[in-house]
Amino acid sequence: MTRLTIAFGILLFFLLHTTSGEDGSSGDEDGDDLDLETECFSQLEIKEFSHSLTCNFMEVNLNSTNINLTVCTTSEERICSTMEKQGSTYFLYIYEIISCKEICVVLESKRKDCKRVTVTDIVKPEAPYGINITFQKDADEYLIQYSTPHTRKKYLKDKLIHEIAYHEGNGTWNTIDSQYLQIKLLGKNLQKGASYEVKVRSKPDGKFFKGFWSEWSSSEYFKNAVGHLEREDKPQESNFSIGMLVVTISTVTFVLLFIIPVLIFWETRIKPLFWPELPDHKKTLEQLCKKPKKNFDISFNPEKFGYVHIHKVDGIQAKTEVESFLQPSAPLDVSEKVRNELDMKKSPTDVDKSVLKLPVTYGGFWPSDTLSEHLCETHPFILDGFSNGIPYRLCSINGTQLYNYGLMTHSSSPADLTVQPRPGPINTDTMSHIQPSNGIRSSNKDEAYVTMSSFCKNQ
Amino acid sequence: CNLVFFRSVFGILPLLVVLLPVNSSTCVMENTAVIREKYENVLSEDINSLENMSGKLRDRCCRNKRRENPSVFFCNDTQEIRSLRNMACDLLKFFYKQKINEEFRWRTAHVSCMTLDILHCKCDKWSKRKEVSCCGNLQTILQI
Repeated sequence: MTRLTIAFGILLFFLLHTTSGEDGSSGDEDGDDLDLETECFSQLEIKEFSHSLTCNFMEVNLNSTNINLTVCTTSEERICSTMEKQGSTYFLYIYEIISCKEICVVLESKRKDCKRVTVTDIVKPEAPYGINITFQKDADEYLIQYSTPHTRKKYLKDKLIHEIAYHEGNGTWNTIDSQYLQIKLLGKNLQKGASYEVKVRSKPDGKFFKGFWSEWSSSEYFKNAVGHLEREDKPQESNFSIGMLVVTISTVTFVLLFIIPVLIFWETRIKPLFWPELPDHKKTLEQLCKKPKKNFDISFNPEKFGYVHIHKVDGIQAKTEVESFLQPSAPLDVSEKVRNELDMKKSPTDVDKSVLKLPVTYGGFWPSDTLSEHLCETHPFILDGFSNGIPYRLCSINGTQLYNYGLMTHSSSPADLTVQPRPGPINTDTMSHIQPSNGIRSSNKDEAYVTMSSFCKNQ
Repeated sequence: CNLVFFRSVFGILPLLVVLLPVNSSTCVMENTAVIREKYENVLSEDINSLENMSGKLRDRCCRNKRRENPSVFFCNDTQEIRSLRNMACDLLKFFYKQKINEEFRWRTAHVSCMTLDILHCKCDKWSKRKEVSCCGNLQTILQI
């Protein structure tokens, strides 16, 4: 009985082994040389409630017309599903990822090769997306942020390793691994003015879920300019934008340098240069015969000068102004006072004072102590506006005191210089005849004779 | 259904982390560390989703049942793994009968089957119909 039981058990064992075919190795020895090695990966939560299995043959040139792949459970109730053929790949939705799966290659309805896979060990995550590069000027760093679809899902959230790759132009790629969704690149480690390309991919962290790298995300470009970030578009788009910029700048420059000056100077310079105007006789005559201005101050009617303040001088006093007059700066002060006298319109009051204080004009008795040989110096007397610089001498003649000195008349010869005293009290009539605009110029011969005569009368 | 109900049910499932190996005819011996790892990385996420979903559904399905037979889902077996297995099987059987949201039923069955899978257990055959057995393919669960 015992032997029978043992024999029955051995027979059963061989029968089960033959029918199940779960040894994981190739069971068919018909001499087929086809390489039916498959490579599969799983994608978790590819859509709601379901995952996927994707397989393809390692042999690229394999004719997969008569080849199918089936996925079976490893439970007692073996349930199999045939994968859907999509070109050279095979695809199947699955709903359970805990238990093992058996993937078998079926060639012409004959099971050729089977292998067991653990779904959680062949995970291929979805590719990251949304790379955002921000330049942090204070820290001179580039903050690179990106997103992954698994953030919104259950199993792979916070269980991925991300690889950030960047390179300059066509240089070698540099990679950085991070478990977070952002990294920082130091600006000092990047070449100034260089353009960089950045891309990201993900992989399970290997603690429970294992698998392969995802596809690369779409690349993002930036330029490491000094002080700021210059986000670059793709090279083709950047060339186009540069061309547009050049054209725009050229157009603006042309407008500024040529068109605007032409418009400005068209009437005044350009047009007369190319189309000179013939002179108009009428206009020419009008210019020659210009009427005087309305306010032109030429008149012999004394009533028109009523606004002019003509002050009567009641008396003359010898003052300390004589001393100042004898000092080197005195003549200049006198000239200033003469100017004030000439322009009575502006400040009549000042003119009053200057006229009164003008020792030379109105004469007076020179203090004897002021008269010395030192006084026999030539004091250039500049008459502003008259353009006559008439030097005169102030000297004592035989010790006699000289009376007031009149303004010297215009004379080319020093020998002709004579002292023309003026009367001390100058009556109103005399003053009224003084023409402020003429000022010293009015001390012509006629006026000098008038003043002399009045002076003699007073004497 | 009632969120509290589900939390009381699935709250027992964390006992998986302190399970003792049980020799049962319906369960296969499994390393508790492996069980714990599968629970933490996979099953716990589905239980959280199911609890959130149960809170959105109107409380109409479990009210009477709880009063009539409160021990339906809470076993009195001292073997932890067997208790959890019985609970998962009963839950699977219970939700088959109820006319509730199909998505919710599917998720509940999914969690139950995943629990059985982690424990390496299977339900006793109350019926020959497939709907009480996970059969490794959750699509068959809803085939009535």
